[in-house]
Amino acid sequence: MPRPAAVDLEAAYQASGVGPVLEQLDRELVGLAPVKGRIREIAALLLVDKLRMDLGLRAQPPTLHMSFTGNPGTGKTTVAARMADILHKLGYIRSNHLVSVTRDDLVGQYIGHTAPKTKEILKKAMGGVLFIDEAYYLYRPENERDYGQEAIEILLQVMESRRDDLVVILAGYADRMDRFFGSNPGFRSRIAHHIDFPDYSAGELMAIGERMLAAQSYRFSPAAREAFARYIVARMQQPHFANARSVRNALDRARLRQAVRLFEGRARDLTAEDLMTIDASEILASRVLGAPAA
Amino acid sequence: MNAEPQKPRSGRYDAGVMKYKDMGYFDLDYLPKDTDVLAVFRITPQDGVDAEEAAAAVAGESSTATWTVVWTDRLTASEKYRAKCYRVDPVPGADNQYFAYIAYDLDLFEENSIVNLSASVIGNVFGFKPLKALRLEDMRLPIAYVKTYAGPPTGIVVERERLDKFGRPLLGATVKPKLGLSGRNYGRVVYEALKGGLDFTKDDENINSQSFMHWRDRFLYCMEAVNRAQAMTGEIKGTYLNVSAGDMEQIYERAEFAKQLGSTIIMIDLVIGYSAIQSISRWCRRNDMILHLHRAGHSTYTRQKSHGVSFRVIAKWMRLAGVDHIHAGTVVGKLEGDPATTRGYYDICREAFNPQALQHGLFFDQDWGGLRRVMPVASGGIHAGQMHQLLHHLGEDCVLQFGGGTIGHPMGIAAGATANRVALEAMILARNEGRDYLAEGPAILAAAARGCTPLAQALEVWKDVTFNYTSTDSPDFVPSVSVA
Amino acid sequence: MRLTQGTFSFLPDLTDAQIGAQVAYCLRNGWAVNLEFADDPHPRNTYWEMWGQPMFDLKDPAAVMYELAACRKVHGGRAYIRLSAFDATAGWESLRLSFITDRPAEEPGFGLERQEAGGRNIRYTARSYAANKPVGERY
Repeated sequence: MPRPAAVDLEAAYQASGVGPVLEQLDRELVGLAPVKGRIREIAALLLVDKLRMDLGLRAQPPTLHMSFTGNPGTGKTTVAARMADILHKLGYIRSNHLVSVTRDDLVGQYIGHTAPKTKEILKKAMGGVLFIDEAYYLYRPENERDYGQEAIEILLQVMESRRDDLVVILAGYADRMDRFFGSNPGFRSRIAHHIDFPDYSAGELMAIGERMLAAQSYRFSPAAREAFARYIVARMQQPHFANARSVRNALDRARLRQAVRLFEGRARDLTAEDLMTIDASEILASRVLGAPAA
Repeated sequence: MNAEPQKPRSGRYDAGVMKYKDMGYFDLDYLPKDTDVLAVFRITPQDGVDAEEAAAAVAGESSTATWTVVWTDRLTASEKYRAKCYRVDPVPGADNQYFAYIAYDLDLFEENSIVNLSASVIGNVFGFKPLKALRLEDMRLPIAYVKTYAGPPTGIVVERERLDKFGRPLLGATVKPKLGLSGRNYGRVVYEALKGGLDFTKDDENINSQSFMHWRDRFLYCMEAVNRAQAMTGEIKGTYLNVSAGDMEQIYERAEFAKQLGSTIIMIDLVIGYSAIQSISRWCRRNDMILHLHRAGHSTYTRQKSHGVSFRVIAKWMRLAGVDHIHAGTVVGKLEGDPATTRGYYDICREAFNPQALQHGLFFDQDWGGLRRVMPVASGGIHAGQMHQLLHHLGEDCVLQFGGGTIGHPMGIAAGATANRVALEAMILARNEGRDYLAEGPAILAAAARGCTPLAQALEVWKDVTFNYTSTDSPDFVPSVSVA
Repeated sequence: MRLTQGTFSFLPDLTDAQIGAQVAYCLRNGWAVNLEFADDPHPRNTYWEMWGQPMFDLKDPAAVMYELAACRKVHGGRAYIRLSAFDATAGWESLRLSFITDRPAEEPGFGLERQEAGGRNIRYTARSYAANKPVGERY
């Protein structure tokens, strides 16, 4: 088949359908400007690589395995799903699906259990993306008979020999991932793209919270909004802070308290407004803001 | 509480002749019960006979009525036993023909007896003088009635498991010439065809035990051929040994001998009768034998559209009676078969539930209540060059029988069998790969023939053979495009 | 001889691309795919050895090709390997497709033994020449 002499990058971009995915990412996720920038870079690189392959300037498809580092609740899983979408649209994976696992899904309980378990997950992910959260738990040097090592060896082998069939994304805290790569250089050499997910600012977390409420047809009263802003700042200082996930948990508790308040005042009729509104009391009742334990 | 004063009787039971419509066999307000047996007849009244009266007469004559009022009706719950015509529609596009829908109470029928069902519904009424012609188009058998039958002894799934053959139609051939071969020569045809790649060979409907070939001789030579072909290919093979005979004792004797010789399948003709079919079906169930039914004789009453019994009714009765294979048409071959009508027959054989599909001739929903599936057989005037059309019209759960299309191959029977098998496997491969095998069929066959000389020869010899005649039995309803 | 069990035995041996296309067809239909191998090709030898468990919920044929490659590494050329697809739909609950992907280098075939009995009856036994040898030495 004769190769085309020239290629139209704009046409290829339009045809790929990647544009709408990037827009969706912008709309869906608050903030995360550096992450979005990296995704755009990667998408551009992959699109150009595709064209270079079409022109015969590149023989091998590029390595696509990635690592996503950052604290919990910073959007890694969501971005991984969009990444699967982008890779599928660009023709690097055959099926737009993401299999999300942790150590327990890969590593067995007894001798001979790990290999089939790991292989089964790999087979289910083939054609798409395998997302391994907190990947460093696979490696437990303190226990020399740990079955995690077996899973690591199979993973490495498949990441190398089946590059056309599977993209692996390893995710977790930045510092622990660094140590993991340090002791497993096989992984480092197979990862093509690193993306670091920064923590959200207090303002971004507020915007995320309001969006989550709106999606469920709730909203803050003015006083509640002010209280929640204080809540966020306080919560960020506390241990086990998990960004967007902590916001979601706080809002779930607030909705519960609102329901209790409405139920106890059930003597009067409720308006839609009443059913939608989160009051300051629902936020101020949190231990984070110094309320006594319920 | 005072009793209502008794009204004088309407005269319904006064001696004499009265209209069927007035005798309780016609009620457009009757709502059929889920447990009713339903039938739809195509009626052509004599000139001057009112369609509704004719329809009522069919209901009457196929249930409790006789030509005159009888007082002995008063000794029965006659209301219940009267069949009721509950709907009459003119046949679309036909002159003076009507579809009469009739409901029969479940208690009119003995369980597990096609003889009783058919004697009731078609026993007397077809000769009724006020009708020019009458045809039983379709029946709805209530699930309570269906469950009184055991159905096919083997069914499609178990047959496939037993034969270890999946994912493609099975291939067969009827040994030709029909008559005159000695047992020894007959077995040669069987061996060549099976060794060449067919799964089955078949006795013809009138191969029984004539002077040129006694049945025992045929069975012995055929089983030598089957076992030899099995050893040559490592694949399960079979031959439908026709056990049809003059009486049930001989049928059983022949079936027992087939079993003793290790045959996987036996065959009967429709003309042995419904009781004999149900008896041999029971025997097959007890002996793990696949039961092939040749529908010998059916065209005498199924083919003409105005009179007789539709084959779809026969197919339903045979699924109840319990056969594993039934000849159900080829669409493209030499015998009668409109594509849409044939599709209806195949659905009756193979589906767990048939939704109403007027465009396929199915007038009612039919729930088969877990009865096993019947493998339809396509036989008569088909050849390898039609493989894409056959697969398109008939699907993969059927037996394709290439008699002439195997035995008539210029390079011999085994070559003919190989041509058919290669054509079939190439078509299945292409279909599964997602190709438009119907449009690309000739190209797919040509490509397969490049690696298979027997197929190339078959395509060359039969390339112009088609049987394009207007069908006598096509559906009365065509789907219309609706904007809603 | 050439063993003609399976859906595609009369075609030239399928390439990996062709096998992959058949697996894709199975996955589109929601069937589980299973690999088996055997050194006794007798037509009534129903239970070939399973290569691992049947594979459920796969999205892509690569997964099956990965296992097929592993199975070939152990048994390729020394046994038959077949691929089958299982449909769990009510009323079917059996195989929908089954074909041989790999054959031993030599296929010695079957001998047919006949034992004569009364009334011209014959009892037939087909014996695989290969299976007459001990396990491990058959192909």
